[in-house]
Amino acid sequence: MIRNKNMKRASLVSAVIATGAMVLSTLPAQAATPGVTASEIKLGISSPLTGSAGLSYGKVPGAMKAYFNYINANGGVYGRKITLISRDDKYLPTLAATQTTNLVLKDNVFALVGALGTATHSKAYKAAALAKNNVPDLFINTGYSGFTDKTKYPTTFMVLPTYAMEAKVIAKAIKDNFPGQATFLVAQDDEFGSDGVAGFTTAGHKFSAAPILYPQGSMTAARAESALTALGATPGKPVVVLFGTTDVTATILKAAEKLALTTKFTWYAGSVGADANTLLALGVKPATIDGVISASFMPDAKDMTDPYVKQFADINAKYNKGVTFDNYVLAAMNSAMLTVQALRAAGKNLTRAGVISAIENKGAKFASAGLVPLGYSPTSRIGYNGYWVSQLNAKGEGKPYGGKLVIYSTDSGAGAVEVSNFVRPTMPKNGIPTNS
Amino acid sequence: MTQFITTVLTSLSSGAIYALMALALVLVWRSTRVINFAQAGQAVLTTYIGYTVIQRTGSYWLALVVAVISGAIIGAVIDRFFMRPIFKRIKSGPIVMIAPVVATLGLLGIIQAIIGFIWGLTNQSIEAPVSTGGYKVMGTVIAFSSYNLLVLVFVAIAMLLLTILFQRTNIGLALRASAYSPEIARLSGIKVDAVRTLGWAIAGASGGLAGMLYIPGYFLYPNAMDLLLVFGFVAAVIGGLESLFGAVAGAMLLGFAINFSTTYISPKLFFPTAFIVLVLVLLIKPSGLFAAKKSRGA
Amino acid sequence: MSKQISTKKRTLLFVAFGWMLLILGDRVGDLELYQGSFVATYALAITSIILLTGYSGQLSLGQSALMAVGAYAGALTIFNAGLHPIIGLLMAALVAGIFGLILGLIAARLTGPYLAGTTLALAISLPTLANQFPILGAEEGIVFDVGLPPARFGEDFSQYKWFFWISCLASLIMVWFIANLLSTKYGRIFRALRDNPIAAELSGINVGRLKVTAFAISSGVAGLSGGLLVMLISGVSPSAFPLSLSFALLGGAVVTGLYNLKGVILGGLVLVAIPEIADSLVSRIGGSEGFITILPGFLVSALLILAVVFTPNGPGHLIKRHHKK
Repeated sequence: MIRNKNMKRASLVSAVIATGAMVLSTLPAQAATPGVTASEIKLGISSPLTGSAGLSYGKVPGAMKAYFNYINANGGVYGRKITLISRDDKYLPTLAATQTTNLVLKDNVFALVGALGTATHSKAYKAAALAKNNVPDLFINTGYSGFTDKTKYPTTFMVLPTYAMEAKVIAKAIKDNFPGQATFLVAQDDEFGSDGVAGFTTAGHKFSAAPILYPQGSMTAARAESALTALGATPGKPVVVLFGTTDVTATILKAAEKLALTTKFTWYAGSVGADANTLLALGVKPATIDGVISASFMPDAKDMTDPYVKQFADINAKYNKGVTFDNYVLAAMNSAMLTVQALRAAGKNLTRAGVISAIENKGAKFASAGLVPLGYSPTSRIGYNGYWVSQLNAKGEGKPYGGKLVIYSTDSGAGAVEVSNFVRPTMPKNGIPTNS
Repeated sequence: MTQFITTVLTSLSSGAIYALMALALVLVWRSTRVINFAQAGQAVLTTYIGYTVIQRTGSYWLALVVAVISGAIIGAVIDRFFMRPIFKRIKSGPIVMIAPVVATLGLLGIIQAIIGFIWGLTNQSIEAPVSTGGYKVMGTVIAFSSYNLLVLVFVAIAMLLLTILFQRTNIGLALRASAYSPEIARLSGIKVDAVRTLGWAIAGASGGLAGMLYIPGYFLYPNAMDLLLVFGFVAAVIGGLESLFGAVAGAMLLGFAINFSTTYISPKLFFPTAFIVLVLVLLIKPSGLFAAKKSRGA
Repeated sequence: MSKQISTKKRTLLFVAFGWMLLILGDRVGDLELYQGSFVATYALAITSIILLTGYSGQLSLGQSALMAVGAYAGALTIFNAGLHPIIGLLMAALVAGIFGLILGLIAARLTGPYLAGTTLALAISLPTLANQFPILGAEEGIVFDVGLPPARFGEDFSQYKWFFWISCLASLIMVWFIANLLSTKYGRIFRALRDNPIAAELSGINVGRLKVTAFAISSGVAGLSGGLLVMLISGVSPSAFPLSLSFALLGGAVVTGLYNLKGVILGGLVLVAIPEIADSLVSRIGGSEGFITILPGFLVSALLILAVVFTPNGPGHLIKRHHKK
């Protein structure tokens, strides 16, 4: 009897103590605008750092921090230094919800940047009450078109083109360059896949067979070999579109190598799964990568003749030591540059509402490495709204397909895919924005 | 017809891979009555060690030997310094089942963190020692390569050698006795603790082999064998957990079921098939396909 | 061995505790309320494990799957059928309970690792099924909306407080119910079953039926906790219930004592607080980017192992030993 009482007491006491500890450790210092002081701006990012998603996206926070540190060393934003607080959500919705809430309530960040994933971010957005607190949700790392809905996500700004847009551009490229060939789609059975499938449907493209939708984690070598054997029976040179992550692209390409089917197909790797560096690191032969078509909206990370790429690579070498510069780092630094411009455009009196309206009104003109236009406006939260078609060579470089850079622009709906005359704004000197 | 042949061949390859993990798990179970979830981490760790050997010397076979030996050492260390203290404190009840599961899960996390500290978190790959190109049969390239053959051969040899060890040697007898009736084994002079450590060493070595055979066909990163652990475990349970042959048979059954269902019915059946096959087998034989006698209880 | 607290005493204890939580809820900030809600939810989930494993001796690695069933049932009830959130939570428990009943019928014939393997396979398969049926919302999932706090609570009553109230109330009621159940002769029968199934059978206990009952009830509890969990993240999706959740819950249950309900709050606290502590510890230490990424996971795993090695029967045993001396 006594033992039990002690046990219960111990349990209650420790519950109270732990709760107390949590209370005491989180008493916030409330500034007028959260996350902003005379000397500092606090930003937060919740993304996968560990686990299988962390393999591709683990580099993002570090790359953004590197760029922010570079800006801080050059005067910051009107004298304020940017601090990026990074929390690991392992690509799990429950963790994304708690970590984002932590960023808002515990770390008191001014705004969020670079949030990742559909299932994760859609939950995190509501759980952390971002709408209610008017917390800016900038340049999220996902292409799911649902996030452009201003009623559901009033403070969110996309940056990546949507998967539906990519599908439409790919559909046009196939129609223009490979008419008459059979086409097949292998897609991940989640938002990549379904958004992509929707895009192809809107573009009026019909595949020669039902898309192969595989649950995440189930595309093993065996599955890939089975699938390719079936497709290999098709006459001609079919186009195979791969809408999945890079490890899946690698698995499928390696299966093609095994079955000697690499040249049987024209390969189209969706932008999410086409990072050449990673493909090579995963054991795909250079000869196989040679000729793979993809779509991108950024210059290739290996293209040092591009001023933005060169600048970011330099920053990476100095401020992000030990990390190889690749397309992920490039994209992350690009978002960081957009973030700095957004903060500047909001003026010295930095408020959350100010940043949001700054992007709405001035965002479309921000300088960035992107080769396609930015679609921000008072009515649109869409970032990049187009793609250019690229082709990889054996060195893993992505060059314009057909030799000439053609930029396509479209929407996520029924709008046509049009050639764009967009000319990218000149990079600010030394990559340090001076906009206002 | 090609589709059918391909599916049979890929099933064989999948089955062989599941068998690799299933064998290691059955080994630990048979000699220590523990489900070792850390196996996925141990095997990956030894493969990273093998990777480093390849970086330095360029030899896959040397790396394989090193991986197997380090697997044995790591397995022994884990038993001696983690599992033994745990077993000293728990005597009976469901906790005997669960504490090792939770402990080995914790161990898995630690091992994966250690791998991250030493080797970083990026993807690597290991080149296979033999050709991964499919054989050419009557003009077409089939979904079976020298590499697939190598894995199958190794699985068969491992299964045979280990079965001989367990059934035909004194050590094997000691291993089995220590697992089923530690008290009686002790009474007959067997150093139960030492024997159990030996069991973990053998299982660890087997895991080392599994990793070096699996990774060249896949990629190397800390979580690379997590999923394989789950399928290996299911395969082991299907086979009955009591016999090494059962582990291989269960793995083959699973490989065939999954590949056929995903190819001919729907790709979405990848995970559910494992569950369905397992339930069907256990409904008919609650202790698995090849458990000779009635289940000896947990 | 038995805590012979009468039902009346227990009820008073629970009500008192609930009152304390109510007062506490007014004193702390939104973040603590949110974390507290997770503590309550995880405590409830751990309760289901204690019932199933600690009391009826069945090791399940698939509680996350049962939580998922409850969560989807609840979400569908609220979102698609448009019913009141309370009915949603009830449905979560009920549907999961029925599912557990069916599962229990299969499981009753299985022991030890065979049951573990089956529940493991279930845990990895069930989430993928959600992608099969469009009505389940695929990756974006279904919204689980318990609505705003009633207007009469005033402007300052935040959504987080509302979550806190709902999760604490639901958990308290359910745990009280289970505690009562286990203090009756059922508790004794369960323990008899766990400790010596053969003897139990010989003394006339219908082991099979009991096991199935335990499975069903435990699943209902898990289903409710699943519903609460997706309430906290405002929606259900397949990835909200990964295998790692099952493992984490099991770990929490072992660390705080598998054999009785007294430690469940502690278990919930551990699951919420330990990752937080690891995170803040690491950010205080600093270090290279790679280092601070990996260290929290390392710390959590290390703590888990230490706990299992030193107190595999829960901290209660430590206190017991202390008292003996």
